[in-house]
Amino acid sequence: MTTKNLFYILKRLLLAILTVWVVITITFFVSRAVPGGPFLAEKAITPEAQAALEAKYGLDKPLMEQYFTYLKDIVTKFDFGPSLKQRGRDVITVIKDGLKTSAKLGITAAAIALVAGVVLGAIAALRRNKLIDKIVMVFTTACISMPSFIMGSLLLVLFANILGILPANGAAKGGLILPIITLSLSPMANITRLTRSSMLDVLGQDYIRTAKAKGVSGSHIIFGHALKNALIPVITYFGPMLAYIVTGSLVVEQIFAVPGIGRAFVSSITARDYPLIMGTTIVLATLIVIMNMVSDILYKVVDPRITLE
Amino acid sequence: MKKLIAMLLVLAMVFSFAACAKTTDNNTNNSGTNNTGTSNNNDANNNDANKPDASTPSTLAVCLASEPDTLDPALNSAVDGATMTVHLFYGLAKWEQTADGSLVIAPACATELPEGVVNADGTVTYTYTLRDGMKWSDGQAVTAADFEFAWKRAASTELGADYGYMFEQIQGYPDNLSVTATDEKTLVVTLNNAVSYWNELLAFPAYFPVRSDVVGDEAWATDPSTYICNGPYTITDWVHNSVITLTKNPNFIDADTITLDVLECYLSDDNNNMLANFENGAWLMIDDVPTNEIKTLQANYPTEYVVAGQIGTYYVNWNINKNLLPADSTLTGTEAEAAQAEIRKAIGLLFDRNYIVEEIGQAGQVPASSFVAMGMTNPDGTEFYKTAGHNDGFYGYYDVSADAYMDNWDSAIATLKKYYNYDESTMKFTNFPTLTYLYNTSEGHKAIGEYLAGALASVGITMNLENQEWNTFLNTRKNGDYFVARNGWIADYNDPICFLDMWISNSGNNDVQYGKGAHADLAMYDLDLTAYGYDVKVENGTWAETYDVLISIIKTCTDNNTRYALMHIAEDMLMDTGCISPLYFYTDIYMLDDSVKGFFSNPLGYKYFMYCTIE
Repeated sequence: MTTKNLFYILKRLLLAILTVWVVITITFFVSRAVPGGPFLAEKAITPEAQAALEAKYGLDKPLMEQYFTYLKDIVTKFDFGPSLKQRGRDVITVIKDGLKTSAKLGITAAAIALVAGVVLGAIAALRRNKLIDKIVMVFTTACISMPSFIMGSLLLVLFANILGILPANGAAKGGLILPIITLSLSPMANITRLTRSSMLDVLGQDYIRTAKAKGVSGSHIIFGHALKNALIPVITYFGPMLAYIVTGSLVVEQIFAVPGIGRAFVSSITARDYPLIMGTTIVLATLIVIMNMVSDILYKVVDPRITLE
Repeated sequence: MKKLIAMLLVLAMVFSFAACAKTTDNNTNNSGTNNTGTSNNNDANNNDANKPDASTPSTLAVCLASEPDTLDPALNSAVDGATMTVHLFYGLAKWEQTADGSLVIAPACATELPEGVVNADGTVTYTYTLRDGMKWSDGQAVTAADFEFAWKRAASTELGADYGYMFEQIQGYPDNLSVTATDEKTLVVTLNNAVSYWNELLAFPAYFPVRSDVVGDEAWATDPSTYICNGPYTITDWVHNSVITLTKNPNFIDADTITLDVLECYLSDDNNNMLANFENGAWLMIDDVPTNEIKTLQANYPTEYVVAGQIGTYYVNWNINKNLLPADSTLTGTEAEAAQAEIRKAIGLLFDRNYIVEEIGQAGQVPASSFVAMGMTNPDGTEFYKTAGHNDGFYGYYDVSADAYMDNWDSAIATLKKYYNYDESTMKFTNFPTLTYLYNTSEGHKAIGEYLAGALASVGITMNLENQEWNTFLNTRKNGDYFVARNGWIADYNDPICFLDMWISNSGNNDVQYGKGAHADLAMYDLDLTAYGYDVKVENGTWAETYDVLISIIKTCTDNNTRYALMHIAEDMLMDTGCISPLYFYTDIYMLDDSVKGFFSNPLGYKYFMYCTIE
């Protein structure tokens, strides 16, 4: 790897840290600016008890002081503080619990999207304008245009209620099947279309014709030459896809009651659980930033013609 | 070739499904390894659920709500959390169902529930003796000191528990509670005055014992290994946000009365999701259902769809400090407030409560004509709400029967005409100020808000709807930054005072803003208690001089008949301001599979599964 590339990666890393810091700062002050508070309940606690709780969690200090204490604790101790609503649990524990499930959901969905997308895309390209191609195109268009909350609800009604073959609850045995399908359909459709068009593009190239003329076998042309080159645009889609899966899981986890980080994020906002809002935001933001960075670097790795600036 | 591709496609599909199936297998295994012991339980359950074999443990899967914020009995303030804690802890007293199906408060850790001894200064001292042989789940003995510690902790300012105020009857509340363990088995507690619901409090989760060496770190209540309890069950597994497994506690003193071995509490707050799991038989009891499914459920599950009573009132809440009078009104001060009270009461009559419960609520709610909810009883056993309002021919402060609606409407219009211009040709008021109805985001509240706005629009009153997310809503309402708001109150114990003491001037729940802002200075209320033997006679006093005084007298009154008479007076005062416009009394809806026997729930909505059997 050249020093130029190393420099680029370093630059991206610094930029990533800067981005996360900006996210932390904005989230910190915006979440505090929202009306309400973590100790507000239908049945109000006494002002004395409220004051005691605020003192216990350091919420009585000036906002700027709280902000710097928070940053310091993260950087020096990797301490995200306690959850204010789920008393007795640390933010780190809550996030770890949620991340386990979310990672399972997200990684499986991404893997399925990739494998199924590439296979379907390749088939569609090879059978261009045939019936199978048209079916694939209609199916993928439907998947792309349908938002995940509609897709999720449809699958829920079909498989859990009408057919009754899959559980509706994400926490139950086999409960992740429906959310994984919901989450993978849209990126899968995107990958299918990307693979198809770039495959068609590649198949029309001179070197493919040369290979054919040389008498290279069909499968070798497809797997050895065409598919390999056709996958470059798919890799560029990797970043956006993972971002989609991370954000999409917020919705999907709600629909299927999957106990993941997305749900922890949403409920932390409703509960004004400041440390948990911060913790989940930081994790999600870091994930997206890293994924985008990795996909940019990966792009360079597969296509040497691209220079990193 | 086409065939080949079709085959390939099928293969691809199969592959993706296989991949899914694999993941979920892993999922189950993982939760099993994280928490040893459960995977076995689950397997046993799955294999043998249908065999009526006495040797296999009976397991009941239910869903109450999502992950509880806490299962610390002192910190919990949610109904689902309370349901779980009553299965995990044993207080001095407990709720019990008698053979005829009625509910009583029975001694639990105490040998009996004795009468209190009234001291010379009017305070009341209770002395409890603990039963012999009681153990914590780790084998240590349960002592009176555990109760003393638990109560003092739960009431303390330092802990800041939502339900800290449940101890305010005890002398020395909040930080110097008069509770003493005089020896291992004896607990002595002194109350400021006799309270009729004291025994019920002893069965309330906040009053459950906890051990000082266990609860030092608040994390104790989040981990099965540190969750030491003294009740029918222990937590044997807790997959956060997924399921909490309760298993029969062998150290529990009344373990022989417990018929259900394992209770699995699945954690979900999505009522569509709950229903789907109930319908496919995965969960045998769910504590919530989607509102729009209620009619179907009533028809399809006549015996499994249950509407239980709940002591609570849904009401429209006016901000007393917002001006309702037309712009050109010359009324000021107390005259203006008197007029506005009349106007608010008149507007309350425009709402068809029967329509609301039958067409919108659809859950067996009862139209309300008073604030203190149905389910509260007078000392003579009659229902409190039936003696409210002191009217002949109907209960409460106005006639809520369907037949009376048109008369109510006419009288409301007649009243409003005194203050506003009325266009006889369009039958609409022309100069009524625009109102805004604030509610927390929810389909149910929205539907009711829309109905109320519609009813007012038909007489020319514009009421805009504004919704806010829950936490913001609470903040706005509490601060009095609203005109009209949705409100609801559910009792914590069976005594009307919990609907009345929330309206004193400095109460944190005084959303109406009685005695706050401009209303603090309005001297227009009368209170005459000489007939009850009190030297209190106020004419044209402020809210603080009348209502606040009345509540403090009720709280120290030891004669039950007088006390209830005074509470009716307090409710009269509230209703006379027109700021509280009750719509209906709450009900508690749940679904319970017919195969589950021996289940009961109490008026606070706590569900009791420990005496269940599954047929």
